Amino acid sequence: MKRPLYEASTQYKNWRYSPERLSQIRTTMNEAAVGVIRKTFEAYEPGSSSNVSFVNAHEEHLLVTFYVHKISQLCGHFRFPEEVEATATSYLKRFYLKNTVMDWHPKNVMLTALFLATKTTNNPISLDAYASHIPNTVASDVLDLEFLVSQSLAFEFAVWHAHRALWGIWLDIQNLPDSLPDIAQTQKSIYDSALSHVRAARLTDAEFIYTPSQIALACISLVAPALAKKWLESKANITIPENQTDIPPRPSAAALSASIEAIESIITETGKVPNVEAVREVDRRLRTCKNPEKVVGTKAYLARKAEAEKKAEEKRNKKAEGQKTNGAGDVDPFGDPLAEPVKPGLVDYDDDDDDD
Amino acid sequence: MDAVERENQDRQKRWAKEQKVGEGAYAVVYRGREFSTGRRVAIKKIKVGQFKDGLDMSAIREVKYLRELKHQNVIELLDVFSNKTNLNLVLEFLDSDLEMIIKDRSLVFLPADIKSWMAMTFRGLEFCHRNFILHRDLKPNNLLIASDGQLKIADFGLARDFADPGFKMTCQVITRWYRPPELLFGSRYYSSAVDIWSLGCIFAELMLRTPYLAGESDMDQLKTIFRALGTPTEQEWPGHTKLPDYVPVGQFPKTPLRDLFTAASADTLNLLSKCLLYEPRKRLSASEALQHPYFFAIPHPTHPSKLPKCTTQMAPRPLGEVDGNVDMVGSGPGVKAAAPNKGRLKRKITSPMDDPKTRSIARKLDFTKHVKSP
Repeated sequence: MKRPLYEASTQYKNWRYSPERLSQIRTTMNEAAVGVIRKTFEAYEPGSSSNVSFVNAHEEHLLVTFYVHKISQLCGHFRFPEEVEATATSYLKRFYLKNTVMDWHPKNVMLTALFLATKTTNNPISLDAYASHIPNTVASDVLDLEFLVSQSLAFEFAVWHAHRALWGIWLDIQNLPDSLPDIAQTQKSIYDSALSHVRAARLTDAEFIYTPSQIALACISLVAPALAKKWLESKANITIPENQTDIPPRPSAAALSASIEAIESIITETGKVPNVEAVREVDRRLRTCKNPEKVVGTKAYLARKAEAEKKAEEKRNKKAEGQKTNGAGDVDPFGDPLAEPVKPGLVDYDDDDDDD
Repeated sequence: MDAVERENQDRQKRWAKEQKVGEGAYAVVYRGREFSTGRRVAIKKIKVGQFKDGLDMSAIREVKYLRELKHQNVIELLDVFSNKTNLNLVLEFLDSDLEMIIKDRSLVFLPADIKSWMAMTFRGLEFCHRNFILHRDLKPNNLLIASDGQLKIADFGLARDFADPGFKMTCQVITRWYRPPELLFGSRYYSSAVDIWSLGCIFAELMLRTPYLAGESDMDQLKTIFRALGTPTEQEWPGHTKLPDYVPVGQFPKTPLRDLFTAASADTLNLLSKCLLYEPRKRLSASEALQHPYFFAIPHPTHPSKLPKCTTQMAPRPLGEVDGNVDMVGSGPGVKAAAPNKGRLKRKITSPMDDPKTRSIARKLDFTKHVKSP
């Protein structure tokens, strides 16, 4: 049987969750992060973690959602296409399924996610032009996190979006047998309102749970339920030619409308910009519970850096030593003693032969 | 250490780098192995630290598309990880490419062999197009050959998604000899038909054992095409004189393909001519090509394992070829990337005229003898 294209995508394979699983991921990650950071606090100043009020998973999510909204504002400022905005949004949301705001503040990650999205959607802009338009930001702020963000996305840069699906369904609607020939003009408000619902859906978890076309259909349904139903029925009535046995089975009408309703309520209930006061409160507390290892200048940060440097130094010494022994001493005219076969485990990726 | 960093390191530990097989200014290619299985791989290390704008576009394109595409006739990206300021792509290991095979004069191609290579190429391309991806740099040295004879489309550094109608794209894509006339005339709105033209050129090259339409400059490329296939008329290709960079390049008569491809069957020439139609909208699609009678006629395509193989050990290739997009010497007809920021580091190419010494064309086709004096 032929699989629908969407099911071969990394989005379908690796970025789909049930609502329960989503909240479990966020809670587990938050608890693990709190544990680690508490330990770090204690290691440098015993007793110092008892007064810290850590942010919980719900508050983390609130903050991230607020920065999803910020991306949208920035994109308006740059006049980036919809594709860039939608992609950057997905990147930010996916990033925080793997990371905590206590390690990486979304105001920084947002800038990198957006810059990366301009490139992955083939709308590149120079880093200098980008950074110079954002207050208090230099190029390195954006680039420093590029690998971290890419790794968090598992280098899966392609994202399928509901706004594309909406455009497709809208074109398709114009082809319905009893559609008025000028529906694209007269009913344009339907499309425009549906698009604003698609944008609201970006503030929600809908994209982690449902397919882009389901979300798009739900957005039309919010504006023009009868039209959405008519379009859906037109699809159900297509007869499949007998020789085409490779068409995947369709979901039942009941299952589909249940999904559509669920998406509609996700959008109406959670598709809103978080209250600024609530966000500020979280942000204030975040300042006190940030991972000290990631705050430049703190004891923990300096200690971690020293540790990393020590390791690098050891490695360099080891390498230099190795070269010394190789080069010096008497040379056996019959060559070196037959060496043990090199175990593959000994390959050192840091042993760079390049000049960076 | 962060979970994400740890995950990255775990990925890295799955792969052993063994021996350097190619090096360019921006990337190094190693032969390697998967520890757990011993499977051979190629590891392409891209030195991102040198790029002013971070991860560069061709690395991003390659990773983006190869992450999504899994097909027998498309090179497989097995893993991606980063290390310090390097990006490492772990790719399936492939012995040779179609260009090496074409140039290996000790090999004799049967019509069934050519049919087999073309079938695999069209299957891989049909899969890309079905996924709404234009390759935009098809040429024999981007068609890699696995040890079992399977052909794999590689180098997605210039690939992009289909644009919406009315959305501009750059016309500076596809290596010149494989570039269709609409791009040479500066068309900024084009389709999957650009890749089909390239396959037509490759098809002809497999039969001729030398590049079919080897122009020496963009202007000469048009002339070369028209000399071979006749100057298009308004009827054949409506509107082409209105394209942005249209220039009249002279009137050349149409000569039947039969005159040059003397040994080819009628089916063969029919498929070839449909890949090389001037009007892009009439050029056949990859899925139509796969339904073409050519692929069903006798002789049946050779089984991949029985195809001619390179007799020479694969020498370390200049990285431009391994990498496709890092062509520092310019030993072929180059392509300029759609560089968003001029004057910065670009992983792109020069034109062949920049360094004519390094060009190696076995033999140049001369179409002039077909031109009748007016």
